[in-house]
Amino acid sequence: MFAQQIFNGLSIGMAYALVAVGYSLVFGILRLINFSHGSVYAFGAMMTLFFVSTRIGIIPAIIVSALLSGVVAALINKWTLEPLRLKNSSKIASLITTIGVSNVIQNMLIIVFGSQREAFPAFMDFGSVTIGNSLVIKSSQIVVFVVGLILLLVLTIIVNKTKFGLSMKAVQQNMRAASLMGIENNRVITITFFLGGVTAAIGGALLGGYYQIAYPMMGAMLGLKAFAASVLGGIGVLYGSVIGGLIVGVIESLAATYLGGTYRDLVAFLILIIVLIIRPNGIFGKKTTEKV
Amino acid sequence: MMKKLSRIFSVCIVCSMLLVIGGCSKTDAKKTIKIAVAGPMTGDNSEYGIGFKNAVELMIKQWNANGGVLKNQIELVVYDDKNSPEEGANVGQKIASDKSIIGVIGHFSSGVTMTATPTYQDNKIILIAPSASHPDFTKQGNFIFRNNAVISTEAKEVIDLAVNYHKAKKIGILAIKTDWGTSTKNVIVQIIKDQYAAKGIEVVDVEEVVEGSDDYTPNITKMKQAGVDTIIGACMYATLAPFTKQYKLVDPSINIVGFSNAYTQNLLNLGGKSVEGLTFPVIFFSQSTEANVAKFVTDYKTAYNSVPSSLTAQAYDSVGILLTAIKQVGSLDRDKIRDAVAGITYVGVTGSTTFNATRDAVKPFNKVVIKDGQFTKLAY
Repeated sequence: MFAQQIFNGLSIGMAYALVAVGYSLVFGILRLINFSHGSVYAFGAMMTLFFVSTRIGIIPAIIVSALLSGVVAALINKWTLEPLRLKNSSKIASLITTIGVSNVIQNMLIIVFGSQREAFPAFMDFGSVTIGNSLVIKSSQIVVFVVGLILLLVLTIIVNKTKFGLSMKAVQQNMRAASLMGIENNRVITITFFLGGVTAAIGGALLGGYYQIAYPMMGAMLGLKAFAASVLGGIGVLYGSVIGGLIVGVIESLAATYLGGTYRDLVAFLILIIVLIIRPNGIFGKKTTEKV
Repeated sequence: MMKKLSRIFSVCIVCSMLLVIGGCSKTDAKKTIKIAVAGPMTGDNSEYGIGFKNAVELMIKQWNANGGVLKNQIELVVYDDKNSPEEGANVGQKIASDKSIIGVIGHFSSGVTMTATPTYQDNKIILIAPSASHPDFTKQGNFIFRNNAVISTEAKEVIDLAVNYHKAKKIGILAIKTDWGTSTKNVIVQIIKDQYAAKGIEVVDVEEVVEGSDDYTPNITKMKQAGVDTIIGACMYATLAPFTKQYKLVDPSINIVGFSNAYTQNLLNLGGKSVEGLTFPVIFFSQSTEANVAKFVTDYKTAYNSVPSSLTAQAYDSVGILLTAIKQVGSLDRDKIRDAVAGITYVGVTGSTTFNATRDAVKPFNKVVIKDGQFTKLAY
């Protein structure tokens, strides 16, 4: 049973990681916690559901909704956060704005789709593999894990090996210097939001398919957990978010098994607090110096 | 300057006083009879609150079309409590401050309703709750009625389905971690221990989950490990449908019995093929061939484009009970109306309803199974 729960945990953990990197990317570049991220995740899942109903097939539906969610995330930055940056308003104003945007998106989804849970197509179920006498691995678990891993690898390559990744790092280190070197800060930030939105939406579609349900409020708790995962791993560090996501997923599954279903969220956040007391910057977090 | 301002101010005050007096005399002359619906109209449980509102609206429309009650038109007022205890208490105060409200239909969950019940009791407002199921609910006062099955009655029916229809030996319980879920779970465990242990039937695993936690894989692994053959689901459809889907991926032969609050069209929409074979004890059966039920379902469908659930049907009957009681009494004497409700035998869409000494509804149960994507009446 222990091995089974590890597997259960790893696959949902990988989906958490997909959402967690979104927090990490934005935090890395803006030092801002983007609380609207969870609702972009829900938006992605609901849009996938909507496009599936237009019978274009599940994979095209995921792609279209991922791009759309990316655009929404970019627009959140463009319409609400960029004006705040232009006016040099405080960080806390941006933070509150993201919380506000999150509520706006969630409630708009409720207005359009209703608050009830909708059936999400089980597009990843092709059966299951039994290893040994009791370890059952569902195909959906493998798909979530593998797709998540591939996406995260692609993202890592973008950040570490491309020119865009380099400009991200430049903006992260010093916005003014970066703009003097000819980097368009706002463009870099917008694309970062876009990437976060795309991964969150794919995470939403994967978890929607795994649980076989989707609903407008699905991002509320998950957003918090993914945020916890990225803090746990060290916010701003990409692979940290991945490890953080996996840890949260596995701990949750173990807690649900050995302590009862009601403990799953509690234990995940408890571990977060303990880790932060021991390592305030998260497991892989680097000590950040305050920018002057 | 100061003088001028104060003059304007006093003129304003006089004007507003006149307005208030005017307003008062107007309502006094018209004497509308108001009935309130309170429940979650927005947010996560809004489907239930909106169901209540629709049902009450439908019933009131029918009464108004026949001339209202006591020769007055009935007016519906809707309050949104967002299914939160704070808002519930707030809504209670708002309702109590409007003296033309005779009775309230709602709220949705027992915990929320019970923050408002003291206010209703003190102000002699009759509350008929179509969904509350907390054991102590009606102990809040003699103006508080429950038009919903008490947990222990329904639990007995559920266990009967598990044991006599599904031939269960090893029972697993899935319960949501709410007031209702926990007490239901305790009641089931107790009944099985007291009445079925001798027949070799036992509860081998109890899984409590947070409502809407979406991922039930860990719980399923544990239940399978315990060798569960039949599961009793003490939860709403939003938990039962994904749980069933995820369980059937691992073990398609599992038997599952649900409670009537999971018995909604949404369960079929959400559960699809995997909820085939689930059984429920229900009070209201929407596919019933009885004339009044069929009419209610058609009217409801035409007006709101959805099939009423049992809670919605109970809300419909609740307002019917209240209006019939007012009609019987022939005046708006709150104490007399209360007595009339307590003594009523009301034949509605949820069968023949009476209230027992503790003001809890007593009604007969039907049993249904999901077959070919439909709820079908079960005989065994």
